[in-house]
Order: sequence, then structure tokens, then C-alpha cells
Amino acid sequence: MPTENLSDKRMSKFKNKGKEPTKMRDRRIAECVELRKAHKVEGIMKRRNISSVGDEEPLSPEYNTDNKQVISEAIQEIVANVNNECPEKQRQGCQAARKLLSRERNPPLKEIVEAGLLTRFVEFLGRNDDPTLQFEAAWSLTNVASGTSWHTQQVVEHGAVPAFIALLASPMLNISEQAVGYLRNLTWTLSNLCRNKNPFPRFSAVQQMLPSIIQLLHHSDKSILSDACWAISYLTDGPNERIDVVIKTGVLPRLVELLGFEELAVVTPALRSIGNIVSGSDLQTQAAIDAGVLSALPLLMRHPKSSVQKEAAWAVSNIAAGPCQQIQQLITCGLLAPLVDLLRNGDFKTQREAVWAVTNYTSGGTVDQVVHLVKCGALEAILNLLQAKDAKTVLVILDAINNIFLAAEKLGEVDKLCLLVEEVGGLDRIEFLQNHENNAVYRAAQALIEKYFSEDGDDQCLTTEATDSNFVFGASDVQKRFDF
Amino acid sequence: MELNDGNLQTLTEYLQKTLSPDPAVRRPAEKFLESVEGTQNYSILLLTVLEKSQNEVIRVCAAVTFKNYIKRNWRVVEDEPNKISDPDRTAIKANIVNLMLSSPEQIQKQLSDAISIIGREDFPQKWPDLLTEMVTRFQSGDFHIINGILRTAHSLFKRYRHEFKSNELWSEIKLVLDTFAQPLTELFKATIDLCQTHATDINALKVLFSSLTLISKLFYSLNFQDLPEFFEDNMETWMTNFHNLLTLDNKLLQTDDEEEAGLLELLKSQICDNAALYAQKYDEEFQPYLPRFVTAIWNLLVTTGQEVKYDLLVSNAIQFLASVCERPHYKHLFEDQNVLTSICEKVIVPNMEFRSADEEAFEDNSEEYIIRDLEGSDIDTRRRAACDLVRGLCKFFEGPVTGIFSGYVSSMLTEYAKNPGVNWKHKDAAIYLVTSLASKAQTQKHGITQANELVNLSEFFVNHILVDLKSPNVNEFPVLKADAIKYVMTFRSQLPKEQLLETVPLLVAHLQAESIVQHTYAAHALERLFTMRGANNTTLITPTEMAPFTEQLLNNLFKSLAIPGSSENEYIMKAIMRSFSLLQEAIVPYIPTLIGQLTHKLLLVSKNPSKPHFNHYLFESLCLSIRITCKANPDTVNSFEEALFPVFTEILQNDVQEFVPYVFQVMSLLLEIHTSSIPSSYMALFPHLLQPALWERTGNIPPLVRLLQAYLEKGAATIASAAADKIPGLLGVFQKLIASKANDHQGFYLLNSIVEHMPPDSITQYRKQIFILLFQRLQSSKTTKFVKSFLVFINLYCVKYGAIALQEIFDSIQPKMFGMVVEKIIIPEVQKVSGQVEKKICAVGITKILTECPAMMDTEYTKLWSPLLQALIGLFELPEDDSIPDDEHFIDIEDTPGYQTAFSQLAFAGKKEHDPIGDAVSNPKILLAQSLHKLSTACPGRVPSMLSTSLPAEALQYLQGYLQAATVQLV
Repeated sequence: MPTENLSDKRMSKFKNKGKEPTKMRDRRIAECVELRKAHKVEGIMKRRNISSVGDEEPLSPEYNTDNKQVISEAIQEIVANVNNECPEKQRQGCQAARKLLSRERNPPLKEIVEAGLLTRFVEFLGRNDDPTLQFEAAWSLTNVASGTSWHTQQVVEHGAVPAFIALLASPMLNISEQAVGYLRNLTWTLSNLCRNKNPFPRFSAVQQMLPSIIQLLHHSDKSILSDACWAISYLTDGPNERIDVVIKTGVLPRLVELLGFEELAVVTPALRSIGNIVSGSDLQTQAAIDAGVLSALPLLMRHPKSSVQKEAAWAVSNIAAGPCQQIQQLITCGLLAPLVDLLRNGDFKTQREAVWAVTNYTSGGTVDQVVHLVKCGALEAILNLLQAKDAKTVLVILDAINNIFLAAEKLGEVDKLCLLVEEVGGLDRIEFLQNHENNAVYRAAQALIEKYFSEDGDDQCLTTEATDSNFVFGASDVQKRFDF
Repeated sequence: MELNDGNLQTLTEYLQKTLSPDPAVRRPAEKFLESVEGTQNYSILLLTVLEKSQNEVIRVCAAVTFKNYIKRNWRVVEDEPNKISDPDRTAIKANIVNLMLSSPEQIQKQLSDAISIIGREDFPQKWPDLLTEMVTRFQSGDFHIINGILRTAHSLFKRYRHEFKSNELWSEIKLVLDTFAQPLTELFKATIDLCQTHATDINALKVLFSSLTLISKLFYSLNFQDLPEFFEDNMETWMTNFHNLLTLDNKLLQTDDEEEAGLLELLKSQICDNAALYAQKYDEEFQPYLPRFVTAIWNLLVTTGQEVKYDLLVSNAIQFLASVCERPHYKHLFEDQNVLTSICEKVIVPNMEFRSADEEAFEDNSEEYIIRDLEGSDIDTRRRAACDLVRGLCKFFEGPVTGIFSGYVSSMLTEYAKNPGVNWKHKDAAIYLVTSLASKAQTQKHGITQANELVNLSEFFVNHILVDLKSPNVNEFPVLKADAIKYVMTFRSQLPKEQLLETVPLLVAHLQAESIVQHTYAAHALERLFTMRGANNTTLITPTEMAPFTEQLLNNLFKSLAIPGSSENEYIMKAIMRSFSLLQEAIVPYIPTLIGQLTHKLLLVSKNPSKPHFNHYLFESLCLSIRITCKANPDTVNSFEEALFPVFTEILQNDVQEFVPYVFQVMSLLLEIHTSSIPSSYMALFPHLLQPALWERTGNIPPLVRLLQAYLEKGAATIASAAADKIPGLLGVFQKLIASKANDHQGFYLLNSIVEHMPPDSITQYRKQIFILLFQRLQSSKTTKFVKSFLVFINLYCVKYGAIALQEIFDSIQPKMFGMVVEKIIIPEVQKVSGQVEKKICAVGITKILTECPAMMDTEYTKLWSPLLQALIGLFELPEDDSIPDDEHFIDIEDTPGYQTAFSQLAFAGKKEHDPIGDAVSNPKILLAQSLHKLSTACPGRVPSMLSTSLPAEALQYLQGYLQAATVQLV
């Protein structure tokens, strides 16, 4: 949270019982070690080399070698051509660079950067008199920018951002037959320039790109929309100040509108952007709510693709981590029924997010809100998930159960809740978890059993060991002074 | 310690001695070894003995000693010295894998354990070559070695199944996958090929199948956290082979043993787990394979026998089907009527059958049978799994499944009817099937709370259950009788009241059955029926309705306690308690006889208390007898004392620890019933109650405090006159209790009773000491609980002795003490006092301080007057402040060095809340208004001016309200 006002403090003290709201929210974690295949949609984003602009012959074998000698010679030739004053040579140099950079395996990104070519390419971007040169240079830069964060950074450092933005105004993009193709590539470039997190793209660069990205978000081409959305999703995947910059552009209503599109390629990044935004501060979340995100989410939670369901559930879990007014809006806008459906029938990853939503909701919601959630069937659904083969999920569920019990305590309805839990088979499962190998899980299960389900629970009276004294009455040493 | 023959010899000798049965030889040897284990080379010497010794016993002993040494010393604890030198660590890691692999199995297991302990600390960073070293051995072709590696890998990797996701954990898994996944897959394939090659060689197969089982376990661990890229890419290989293995049968691998699971069962069981993992977590990727697995597992179930050795496999397999069938997108796999019928017929029905193992347990091990059948500790039994599958199928196919089962139920019942003597098990299965089909939600307290509407429970009851209950020979077909009783118990909330009433006398008759399970169930069923609630929150079954059966019920309950095996049957005793509680005054005529039986029982069990629940309900029953009888006629309390005191005396004299707290509670109950002065029999016991030994046991403290409070309430005058010399001892108990953070509230209970009841003169000389003790505790360890109790006490004192007395005694201990307590304790903390009576005491006490204490008006204490009044108004108006300082939260735990017997509170010995002020003050706000009015008339003008200058407006407004309500005005 950027500012620590009083209500935030109160919230972390009482409402979320010591859990920092930011921590509860930002669970898209810094854990970047992945065991799985990179996700398909994101995988497409990573490398999409621009190889064939128009109809060109396939790459010649010489460009497909890993022989250092050959590559180094090719680069030397490119350097010579690019630095030549003759426009024809320049065009040749750029084209050769672009082809070299477009190969599937091991494109020599670093070598190109180190050959000092970027300065010249950026310069060419401004050559309005020679559109071919302009765009050849653009594609080379784009291929470099789609590398690692270091590569992207190199492109930005060389001042490519303003040059690209200027290029968007090029007449070529209106008159050329390949205009849409060019614009797609440029949008993709911008998204790449926004992509990296370590470090984030510079603030000034973001400020320069945002107006164009917003404009592209209104384009009718799906591919352009998709990449523009991805750009927004990258920009919002960071600290709250970065989210703020995006919100201030007034993009939220459009993003919400895009959530309703049919194309998965648009919906996915739009939803990701929204998810990022609602993981920000309460105010930022409220802005998204005000833009109507809650009326779009139920449909997405019932989307045929489970990856969309999962992202939607993630967004809901972050909204549920907010103050009880926002939780109330989840109720009003009818998100609880689809949430419970996801808990029951979603795939495992979706169920996991939905479980987080329940836990956040029950830790921040009012007693009435918690009761309402239980009445919608969430308790039974999470109790079923106690069989999940994932220790963290189980622990998070136990946390939610505990929260629900705390609410029941306030209503004096613990006994009723105990019966409900037992009826649906939850007690058996919690008891079973007392044998769980994970210490945190087994302790949490044990604590629940001891506190709410053990018949003799209230009779236990712990005390200190007695001494051998004779109970002779009388103060030993009268203290000199009492001072409380 | 050098690596030489001398040292090896010495070490061998000491190891030999640690095996001696004579502790005089063994202990010094163990001590010696521990004393030298810190020296460099010790572990290397140990490993050398392990490797080189000619004596097999010594080798194993060295292995065990080594493992324990690693367990104790390998972990490097922060801020503590490193207990194993770095060269030793390196040497151990360099040799241990080889050593393990070349050792016989017994030693291999020890070393494998040691490797995983080391691995837990060092792997992967500090032991980078471990994995590669292990993987290399896969190529050895020697399955003794390979299984050693697999076992070690399993112990290293199995934690992936339960640890939380973290970057560190996932990096490790990634590293393991990179090195291990490919070779493991190759090994898997190669092993399966070898199984073909050696299909007729039983010894080879045994080894190969243990490898396959271990490989399957590793698969489970490596795939647990998330679906690794490698396994996604190689899913075809793994799943196809898993599927083949599931469908594989090899005659050679079948075992004759009925109990112990064989290799084939273990392997298939693990494969079921693997499939279930994928189905649950990686549904999307696993979808193409799932239908095949469903079919294979279902066929597996159809062909697997009833023997106990298959139990785990069968229950895992059924659980897999149960979890799949309730997922919406797989429902099509089950919806075909033929499939459903087969599953019902071939999977569910056979697994619900009463097996010979169950029959044995029913007859010979009834206690365990009851626990499993009644209390649901049957989580991994076949019957339980079959029930879960029924419930899973009912989610989408309730109608068809109910229809199919109805057919089975009636055919099984027909079979039974043909020849009950032979076919009684069919009826048992039918009842079980109906029960599992009908139960949708269930609790211990209410039985089934939600039932399948398609099953007519009432009709089944009339046609099939009632017959067995009514059967004139209670001892025929005990299993079916127990089933019938259980049916009533289970569906008690569903059956109409008339039917329940009809069964009551039948259940009473079954209390006489010889079968322990049967009469236990009868007692339990009655007990449950008696706790059912009817309209307007009374019991469903009323004492009037029970009138015709009361005598028989009580008779049979007590007679069933005489049946062999049930002499301390907790269900029966609980039923006795519940019957008493239900019947109330209807039991009075029987009590003279029954109390004798209960006392006799008590005398018997006190010789050797072994059934805590039985004993608890026995005491509860005693309490009920006393309360109910004495409510009708208080004079009968004497006859109870006559009956009970001899046994109680024996319990106290023999110090039967489990029973002493109960005895004190029953005595408190008896003493509280007395209306006149305290009987001499109690006074004779009084000095003994103050003995320190009694107070040393935690469980005694609450009931003893309560008993002493009863003594004070009934006999304060007698104590003051006839036992004045015991007053210091009594105060000594108080002093001991307030010294403890956990028991200080008990000390205050006692002190409050002393102040309330003891004649003032009798404690005058001790008052100052009491306060000094309290102040010392306040000074040394102030806790919220203590402060709350302290506030209640000083205000009670003020109410009893007056505000001036309070102020004077404080100020006599230390000048200005009274002001300090008001300022530092009362004003800031009074808001924390909880409880209606406690708040009332504080309100009345503070009102007195404000209005009846001249020092508050005329000395420097005057500046505290308005803040104190404000605090009082806060006590009236603000919500209770329940905040506790952070460091106090865990006090109970921190202060408990040893956990002692818990105090078992008797519900029916309960005590009513006591209000020492009572009706004297009904509304403390009015009292405050009236008292202020009185004060203001005594010194006109001062009160209004103090109020207007220093009381905040809001408080003033509340105060105006009180004045108006009391219709008084300040002058």
C-alpha cells in the first residue's frame, strides 16, 4: 500500500488479523520456478519472430548456422552496409539483420546489440523518406526486443520508444496494403517493450507508450487488440504506482468491454489486466468495480475454458480480500453462485483460486456476509476439497473454516455449525487431516478439532506445577514500594 | 581418533557391550560411545567396522549406531558448534552410497535412512553429485543395487508430497527432474521388459515388481506439486504402462497369505493412487487416458477377491471411481444403465457383504467392532469406500441407482426369507445397502439428517426391521438384531414418533441380549432417542410416555451391566444417566435400590479405574440421583451421604486420583443442598482439604475451590468459631493459587467467598496481608486476567466493608496507595471486566468510592473523582474492552511445564451463578444517580461544579439520563 492511512492500519490489525492486505492480495507471487510447460497462450507471446514480411524466399542455409565464424562475418557485413551512406546498402544491411534475427534457434541477439547496431536502427526509424528502410529497421529492433529483459532494455535505452511511437503515425500504415500487418507487428513490439519485470520498463517510456496502446485498444483487428491488451497486462503486473498510471488513462471501461469479447486471445489478456488491477489497492479495486467488472466476471467464471475460469477466480479472490463494502458488491452482483460452482466443479487450479477467494472473504467479511456465503453452499464445497492433494490448499481451507467458526462464535451458533460440518462429512475429513504429514496442516486440523469438536474441550484447565510449600499464609518480604 | 587396528578393536568391543542385556554393562558402553562421538574420525571408524567386521551382528549394530549418530548430529544448528568435522562430512558423503549398495538388506535400510537424513540437510546444494551418482547405478543392471537407489530416492523425494510450494522446493524438484526423470523413465521401461523376459522366474519377478512399486511411488512424489513438463511429454509411456500393469495378472505373484498384501496388490494400489492424483490435479492433460483407467480399475474390482490382503487395493480403487463419477464431465462414463448396473452388482454389493473377518470381530472383539461400526473409524474399509461410491453415484444418478439397488435389496431379502438360518448375511447386506443409499447427511448427535427421498424408510422399517426387533428370541441372529437396532438409531430423525415409541419397549428387551454388540447398541439407541428434541424444546419422548416402561428400562439397564464383558460398558452407563435425566421425578421411587447398585459399582471400579467414560457417566448418574431426589425432598440428602460417604472415604484414603475430583464435586452438590448449618461430618474433613498434596494435582483445584466455597457459604460461622486455627491454612491456599497465572482466578473465587461469608472479626488480622500479597503479584506479574479478578475483589470488599475501609487499608500499606490504585488500575482497566455479576460488583463498588469516601472529595485524590466517574459511565455504556497485550496471548501454554490430569467437570453437578449483591441493587445506574444526589445534598454545589468542569459532554449526557430515570436532581 502506498499510503498508510488509519483505516488501512485498522484493517491489518483487526480485519485480516495481522495479515497485510497487500500480502493477501499479491499471490501471483515472485515464485518464478515452474515445473510445467510454459502456458500456451503466454508461450506464443514469448517469441514470435518476424521473418517473412510479404512474400519472401525462405532463409538461406547460411543464416541457419551456429558457426560463430560465419555469424561474425555476416554481422560485420551488416555493420558495413548499415553504416554506408548509400540507402540501398542500408536497406540491404537492415534486411540481412532482420533475417538473421528471425531464425528459430539461437538468433544472435546479443551479437547484434554488441555490434552497436541498435543506434543506427533507431535512427532509421525516423527516416520518413524511406519507409522500406524504416520498417526493416523496425523489425530488427522488434526481434531484439522480444528477447530477454536485458535485450528489451537495450532497445529502450537506445531511445527506440519515441521513435516507434512516431512511426505509428507513418502514412505507410494508412496507405500500404500491408498496413494491418505492420500495425500488428508494431503493437506486438510495444507489448514486448512493456513486458519485462526485472527491471520494469522505465516510467518515462511507459508514459510515452501508453497513449498509443490505449488508441490501439480501440482497433477492430483482433490480433492488435490482443497484443495491446497484453501490453496493458504487463504494465499492470507490478507495484500499485504502475497500476495507477494505467488506471489514470481511463482505460478501465474499455478493458471491461473487452472482457465480453468472444476471442480467447483478447479475453485472456484483458482478464489478466483486470486481475492485476484488482490486486492493487482498495481504491484501484474500486475503480475496476465502478467500471463494471463485477457484471462481466460471472460469465467468465462460467467460461468453457478452464484457464479463463481460473483467472476469473483469481480476480474474485483479490476483490474478496478487500474491505467488506467490496465484499458486499460481490454479493450484490451475484458472484457467489458461480464461485461455489467453481469450488464444486472447476478444475483443480481453478478450485485453488476459488478457495483463496473464500478464505479472503471469510477473513474480511462481516458476520452476515460470512453467513450468506455459507448459505450459498461454499462451506460444503470447501469441505469436500479437504481431500485435495495439495498441502497449501488444504491449509487455506482450514483457515477459512476457522474464520467461519469465528463468525459462528459471534452469533452463538457454534454448535449448529459443528453439526453442519459433521453432516456433510467435513468432520471426518478434518479428523483425517490430523494424520497429515505436513506439520502446519496437521496442527491446524488439530486446533479446529480441539477447539470446536472435542467433547471435553472446555473442561481442560491448565495450570502450573505446584510447589512443595506448606501454604503458610503471609507475605514474605514486604516490598519497599509498590508502583504500578 | 586415528584409523588404526587398536581403535577399531576398541570400538568393536564397545559396540558388542551395547548389545548386552545387562544394563550395568550396556549403559556405560552407550555412555562411552556418546562421549567420544564428537571426536574426529569417529564416524569413519564406525563405517569401517560396518564394512570390515566379520561379525554380522556387529555390522548391523554399527549401522544402527551410525544412523542414530547422524540423526543426532548431522544438522548444523545456528549458534551451536558444528558437531561433525568437515573432513568427516565429506568422507561420509563420498562413501556412503557405495557402502549402502554393497551391504546386505538389513544394513542397507539403515544406511538408506542415514542418507535421507543427510540429504534433508545437504541435498542438493551441499551434495551436488548425489543424484548423478545414483542415476549412474541404474545402469548397473543389478536390481539389488537399483532397489537400494530407488528406496533412497523415495525417502529423499517423498516430502514433495506434503510440503508447501516454495521457490526453494521447486528449484530442488526441477533439479531432480532434470537429472532423474529421464533415467527413471528408461528404468521403468527396461524393468517392464525384463518382467516379460523373466515371466516365469518367480525370484526375478519379485525383485522386479518391488522395483516397479518403488518407481510408481517416485512417480507420485515427483508429480505431486505440479505436472512437470517432462512427465507431460512422456505421459503416453507412463500411462500406457501403468494401464497395462493394472490389467496384468501373474499367477506366480499371487500369494497364499490372506492377510498381507502381495507385491501385485501393492503395485496396483500405488497405480490407483497415481491415476487418482492425475485425475484430481491434471484433469485437462489426463482426460484422454481417464476412460481407460476407469474401465481397468472397474475390471480390477470385479475380479478381486474378498480376502483381507486386497482391502487397501480395493478401497483405493473404489475411492478412485468415487472421485471420478461425481465430476460433471465424466458422468457420461457412468450413465449407461448397464454400466451402472454392473458397478452396483459387481463392485458395490460384493464389498458390502459381511465377511468372516467381520463376523469374528462381532463375536470376539466387540469393542473394536463397535468403534468401527458406530463411531466411523472405518475410513479405509471396503464398506466405507463402497458407501462413498454410492453417494458419489447418487450425485447424478440418484434415481437409476436407487432403482437398481431396490432390485438387489428385494432379491437379497427373498434369498434370506428362503432360508434365514443360512442366508442371514444377505439381509445384513440389504440393510447396509439401504442405509448407505438413504444417508445423505449424518451426525453423531442426530443420526441421519437428510435422506434420499426415493427410499421409503418407514416402510422398510415396518416390513423388515420391526420383525427382527419383535422376534421373541432376542439371542437369535445377533448380527441382524444389531443391524435392526442400528437402523432405528441411524434413521431416528426420519422415522415418525409413533414408530419410535413402538420400538422403545423392544429396545428395552434387547438390553438383555447375550451379544455384547447387540445390547450395547440397544443401550446406545435408547440413549440417542432420549436426547431427541420435540416441539417447544422439550424431549421428544416424554416421561409420561415412558411411564409404562420405566421399571423395565431401569431393571434391564442395570441387569445388562451384569452380562459378561459389559460390566464397565460406557454406552450402558450413559444410557442410565440419560434415562435418569429424562425421567426426572419418575425415578424417585427406584432410587433407594438403584443408589445401592451405583455405589456398589463405584466401589468396584475404584479398585482399578480403567474406563474413563464409564466412570464419568457413573458419577453423572450419581449427581442426577441426588439432585432429582433432593429437589422433591431435601431431607433425603442425609441418606445419600450415608450411602456415599463410606465409598468416598475409601477413595480419598486410597487416593484414587482419577476419582478424587469427582468426589469433591458430588460433595459440593450435597453440601449446597443443606439448608441448616454444616454437618459435623463435613467439618471433620475440612482440615484435610487444606493439605498441600491435594492441591498439587491440577484436576483437583477447580472442584476443591468449589467445595471450599460451599463450606464457606454454609459454614463460615462454624469455621470462625470451631476451626479458627485453620483460617491461615485456608488463606494459604488462596496465596498459593494467586501465585500462579493459570490458577489466580480460582484464588480469587476463594477470596471472594471468604470476604463475603466469613464474619468480619475473624479475618481482621489478615486483611492487610491479603492486600500486600495482591499488590506484590500486581507488581511482579500483572496479567489482564489477574487485573480483572483484582478489580472485582476490591470492589466486593468495598461493597462489604465500605469505601472508607478500602481507602484506609490501602493507605496504611503505603502512603497515597489508594490514589495510585484508582489512577493506575481502576480507571484504565475497569473497562475490561467481563460478566454481568462482575460488572455489577464493580459498578456498586465504584459508586461507593465516588460518593461515600471523604478522601475523594477533600484530598489530592479529588482530581481522580471525575475520571473515575467517567470510567464508571464507560463501564455502563461502552462495549467491553477485550484487547489483550500481545505477550499475554500464550500464557496458558507457557506456564504449563507438565500437562496433568484434566479436570473433568460433571454437567449434572452444575452450580448456579452466584450474585453476592443480589436484589439489594437492581439497577446500578439508578444507584449511582441516587448516591450522587445524596452526596450533592451533603455538600451543595460541589458535585455540579466538578461535573461541569471536567466531565466530557457525552458522559455528562448519559449521566443526565440516569438522573432523570431515578427522578433526582443534583444540587
